[in-house]
Amino acid sequence: MPLKAQALLLILLAAAGRAAILPSFTLGYRGEPGVESKMFAAAQADVTPLPYVRLDAGFSFNLFQNNGLGAAALGVGAVAHDRLGLALRLAVQHQQWNDWQAGENRVLATLEAGPVYGLDAGLGLVHRVPVFGDRYWSPLVWSGGASEWNYLYRLRWKFVQRENWWVRAGFSSYDRFTAHNPQQVPLEADGAYRVKEDLELLARAGTAIVGLSGGIVTFHEVELSAGVRYEF
Amino acid sequence: MNSRRILLLGSAVLLALCACDWDLWGIATRPTVEDRVKESLSGSLTTPGPVAVNPASFSFAVFGDPQIGRDYRSRLDRFRQEVAGRDIDFFCVLGDLTDDATPDEVDSIKLQLERVGVPYYATIGNHDLYQGDGWERFKENYGPSCYRVVIADRIKLIFLDTADGTLGPTQFDWFESELQDSAYTRIVCTHFPVYDGEKPMMWRLASGAERVKVQSMLVRYGAFAWCAGHIHGWRHMQVDSVNHFTCGAMAQQLDYGEPGYLLFTFAHDSLSWQFVELDRQ
Repeated sequence: MPLKAQALLLILLAAAGRAAILPSFTLGYRGEPGVESKMFAAAQADVTPLPYVRLDAGFSFNLFQNNGLGAAALGVGAVAHDRLGLALRLAVQHQQWNDWQAGENRVLATLEAGPVYGLDAGLGLVHRVPVFGDRYWSPLVWSGGASEWNYLYRLRWKFVQRENWWVRAGFSSYDRFTAHNPQQVPLEADGAYRVKEDLELLARAGTAIVGLSGGIVTFHEVELSAGVRYEF
Repeated sequence: MNSRRILLLGSAVLLALCACDWDLWGIATRPTVEDRVKESLSGSLTTPGPVAVNPASFSFAVFGDPQIGRDYRSRLDRFRQEVAGRDIDFFCVLGDLTDDATPDEVDSIKLQLERVGVPYYATIGNHDLYQGDGWERFKENYGPSCYRVVIADRIKLIFLDTADGTLGPTQFDWFESELQDSAYTRIVCTHFPVYDGEKPMMWRLASGAERVKVQSMLVRYGAFAWCAGHIHGWRHMQVDSVNHFTCGAMAQQLDYGEPGYLLFTFAHDSLSWQFVELDRQ
């Protein structure tokens, strides 16, 4: 089905009250000493077209360094056990760094569970294919000399949950646009505040380690973002 | 898991850490890669000079991780025979000279490297920083952790300090300026690999963005090779035009691939390479 037709179908489903659509918009900063220091703007949507199917998609644009499209992602999840939130999720990600003429295409497969008692977890694999040179921008390049497999993991705890707000912390080696290498142990804290019935404010702070090998640990990477999420 | 079990597990981990030879407080407070690089590039340390070779024909070996431990054993005696037999002019050691960087280990590896009998260059690895004074000892014995040498007006060897698993801003800038010099064949010698095969591994440079940036620079400026240690085995990948070598370990026990070293030969105006296996003992 063409993309426009799918989008139209989702809109019709939403209008009929059959699909929950949660679009969100975030602005953020990502910095890594010596590597990059940039702002980004991301637009993403989580869609539940059917009770046991979850879709997610998003675009991220870089500002001030590697300007332009930074990442695009598309994911689909099938819920196998509703009470445990057990779901198999498949996703594709394309990330690119325009100044460096470099990109990376990834396919992720994860088994996710939760939230149960505020905990959510995930375990999976990613196949990453870095692409350099003329075709770095293409999400269709799936071979290259530097491709590799990595493990993915996630364990987060929503340790404060009130009527209008919540806070969560934990580690997650993947998110909608990125897949870290496993030794980075990315730590994150995020939260949301419900302003009105269909509008939430979001905030997130994350970091990641380099040099874990052999006990030398440096918190290297910083990512901060804030935004809004609608529900309709 | 109840709190008593957590306490017991925590105590066991703490005891294990205290029982090892690492100086944990020293590791936590030691100079970072940025500190080491700034000192290395400041001119205050004696940078190793170029080895005198026959400019028309010469060869050099590259290997990693002698990782001299408590038993002070390595394959360097065997390597010494190779140097004599193959007329190797000099060699490069890609970090992890010692296992725990204790004074005895530092003295032992220095002696063993000297005994090989030809000039050599060294760069630092994460194990060389397992004592609070690891950097002090390294620079006393080998000089800077980040430097470059031009051999026979043909080959530029760029030694990078990746012992922290990252390059840091100062070294990134310096590295780019050194790569731009296209008059020479440029070979990077450092501890951490960027790419080393398809298998899930945690011993590469950690940051995905950093790896991509490094590779894009190597491609853009036409570098010949990135030679690394850290992973105790031999690997070779070609990513675009760049060779990525993981050069094997000279440690006695730690090489889980074929033990050996990478041999570069310059002759007839071209550079070639081969992996030379050492007999298992």
